[in-house]
Amino acid sequence: MQTSATVAPRGAAGVPTSHAAVQEPQQYLTFVIGGETFAIGILRIKEIIEFSGLTTVPMMPECIRGVINLRGAVVPVLDLATRFGRKPSEATRRTCIVIVEVESQDDKQDIGVIVDAVNEVLEIPGSEIEPPPSFGTKLRPDLIRGMGKIGGRFVIILDTNRVLASEEIGAASRGGSAEAVGDPIAAAA
Amino acid sequence: MNLDQAFETYVHESRDLLQQMEELLLEFSQGRSDPESVNALFRAAHTIKGSAGLFGLDGIVDFTHGVESVLDLVRDGAVPMTPDLAALLLECRDHMAGLVEAVAAGTELDDEALRTGAELQRQLGTYLGGEASAAQSPTAVVETGGSGVAGDEGYWHISVRFGRDVFRNGMDPLSFMRFLSTVGRIVAVTTLAHEIPAADEMDPESCYLGFEIGLVSAADQSTIEGVFDFVRDDCTLQILPPTSRAADYVALIEALPADEVRVGDLLVRCGAITEAQLEAALRIQGAEAAGIGDAAAQARLIGEILIAQKSVAPPVVEAALDKQKQLRDGKAQESRFIRVDADKLDRLINQIGELVIAGAGINLVAKRRGAADLLEAASVLGTLVEDVRDSALQLRMVPIGATFNRFQRVVHDVARDLNKDIALLINGGDTELDKTMVERIADPLMHLVRNAMDHGIEPTEVRVQNGKPARGTVKLNAYHDSGGIVIEVGDDGGGLKTDRIVAKAVSRGLIPEGAALTQREIHELIFEPGFSTASQINNLSGRGVGMDVVKSSVTDLRGTVEVDSREGEGTTIRIRLPLTLAIIDGFLVGVNDSVFVVPLDMVEECIEFTDAARTEARGREFVNLRGQVLPFIQIRDLFEIGGQPARRENILVVRYAGQRAGLVVDELLGEAQTVIKPLGKLFQKVRGIGGSTILGDGRVALIMDIPGLLRHVHGKATNREGASATALQ
Repeated sequence: MQTSATVAPRGAAGVPTSHAAVQEPQQYLTFVIGGETFAIGILRIKEIIEFSGLTTVPMMPECIRGVINLRGAVVPVLDLATRFGRKPSEATRRTCIVIVEVESQDDKQDIGVIVDAVNEVLEIPGSEIEPPPSFGTKLRPDLIRGMGKIGGRFVIILDTNRVLASEEIGAASRGGSAEAVGDPIAAAA
Repeated sequence: MNLDQAFETYVHESRDLLQQMEELLLEFSQGRSDPESVNALFRAAHTIKGSAGLFGLDGIVDFTHGVESVLDLVRDGAVPMTPDLAALLLECRDHMAGLVEAVAAGTELDDEALRTGAELQRQLGTYLGGEASAAQSPTAVVETGGSGVAGDEGYWHISVRFGRDVFRNGMDPLSFMRFLSTVGRIVAVTTLAHEIPAADEMDPESCYLGFEIGLVSAADQSTIEGVFDFVRDDCTLQILPPTSRAADYVALIEALPADEVRVGDLLVRCGAITEAQLEAALRIQGAEAAGIGDAAAQARLIGEILIAQKSVAPPVVEAALDKQKQLRDGKAQESRFIRVDADKLDRLINQIGELVIAGAGINLVAKRRGAADLLEAASVLGTLVEDVRDSALQLRMVPIGATFNRFQRVVHDVARDLNKDIALLINGGDTELDKTMVERIADPLMHLVRNAMDHGIEPTEVRVQNGKPARGTVKLNAYHDSGGIVIEVGDDGGGLKTDRIVAKAVSRGLIPEGAALTQREIHELIFEPGFSTASQINNLSGRGVGMDVVKSSVTDLRGTVEVDSREGEGTTIRIRLPLTLAIIDGFLVGVNDSVFVVPLDMVEECIEFTDAARTEARGREFVNLRGQVLPFIQIRDLFEIGGQPARRENILVVRYAGQRAGLVVDELLGEAQTVIKPLGKLFQKVRGIGGSTILGDGRVALIMDIPGLLRHVHGKATNREGASATALQ
């Protein structure tokens, strides 16, 4: 994706795509990070594993917690809390790593995401998904695919391809500073 | 559909053959020549034509036919192989390559290419001249009249049984027959259809056919065999030359289905004997007809009778047999290679990588349990796995010679374009390295060779003025050196002009004016982006996108580039590459809980970081190693690992490119084979870490990139104010 997205407000291009994508009913995995509930389309998720055996990679931004061995493949693990500019997650008994498949222009990559707890798989019909508000979620709108209504409460459905875009995170490592990572809020506020 | 697959094979094979032709022709154009090369050329052209015929590619067949005819004359000694002819044939080869590529891409040639083709054919025609008929003269050994047919042309007997899968593989027996008729005249065909099962059991996609063919041809055995090249693996083929002994026929007949086929008839159909001869033989044998029953025995009987009558071929001359044998041996040698899909190899190597990891795991468990017998078994397993790993990696290794040889042509063409006289010297072409590397190093090498020719080697007048031989030399050299391979591109040209490089670097703002640089540092400048020393821009090089691209492609392969240049004497660019991208021997070190792998070939020794040394260093970062200054890097601080240093720290002494440094770590964990796993895009920018590997206990360990690490630390030291920023990276 483009790095310029860090400053892009709710772009004209962002809404139609997210809207088109959420037409048919879909299943979503809901999980908790720092007390907030988020959702990811289930088709993107390869598996959920226990949090263990993490190897830290030095000189990386805080949101990249390290790598794990996933049956012989080395998979990077991200801390979404720090990615969103919140406090880093503390590992607890319920902490999990959700393995998500991310597509970029030319290839597919597996990325692990640390979540505090995994809730359940829910079906959210397209009609129950609202476009993201331009502010108020404490998140950059382009990272959000939509707001799903579950039992009268809103759940943020993440656009995994954007949240986990390696170009953007890689750029953060080049900048090497905390601001680059904290950016999502800066733009949203 | 398998026809596509066969076609792809054809295209691949043709490309290989064209490549081979090119190499041979270049040899000729330099005046080297031997009869075997002419034969090889002829065979290549012939195979291209033959296979093209199978696919009905008339354009290629027509054009190649002319080439083949000329080569045939050369082979017979009727036309000498002059450099002019070699040049013409080289052009023809290019045209053939064009034709093949056009066919591969499914496009038509444009008008200009067609005109070129016609012109080339016309030129070839001048060589053929009135001797066109001579080209038809038999080359096979036809010592005796054989049987039945007299004259120069021999009577060949071909017995072919097509395999079940011939149709499925996209082959049509009929097209072979058709193509066979271009080699000679088919006088008799017997179709053997007895293998066809009952209709309800028959699989219409299977081929049940066999043929007995009588062919009158002046071609030699290899030519006729060549017709069936494409189904060679898929059919049983027996060719009896005109001079075959009766026993051969008998053997053939024995191999034939014995049931319901009358041996005599068969012989007649095969053309070994005539009807009249058979009748005579039968009469002698008695009134009893040859037929159902023990056909083989009967055949021998008839055979004997026939031989007694001297109606079947007399013994074949030994020389002819020898020649056949040689031909067959040659073929066997060629077919010792197997084409394997690269993906399959990669999968194998990946699996062996897993095996190495699993083996390390067993070893670890054995050590922990302290079970001596298990430990022993594990170590045997370890040795075996190591061997398997080496052989598996060997599978991917190819000699770099093929890549080097491609440059013969490049040098030949570029020298002409530049109007310089330049020779290419190749050394160490049999040095092997990973196939992927060979592919990926070709482009940088191309650039370096062109650079050497364009910028390195001076124009002829200048060379003569400077008392150098008028002919410039570009050298390509490869050799193994301490766990890696070194590829050198050298020239005996003017060398790098340091003052010009400095001036250019200053004008580009790469270095401040008046900076004091060593010779080596100046040479390194040519690898800076946007730096080009050519004062003239031409179509070869000099667009300023040169050496930095070379450098980055080499770095991507975990290699390095260095320059060695003397003004007035020449320049040598040295590329150092690891042998393989997949597995390395590593040395494991521990810092706090983290484990790192250092490539073993860079480790020089391990020493204890004693309290005395620490006191002596007093906050500065070097120790005294047997009287020499050894700067060290605190891995804990650099990688911000945290935790308390171990009571006894160690220093791992590494050496890279003549530079020595110490890495301060907590623990030394010993050697281990490690399978390199790429870290992925996310970690591309991390300096000092080259990849990752999985340890025996399933944890991921990071592999240190020592050159990167040293550069990083060096950069930090020279750039003090940026130090804190870099550390954060």
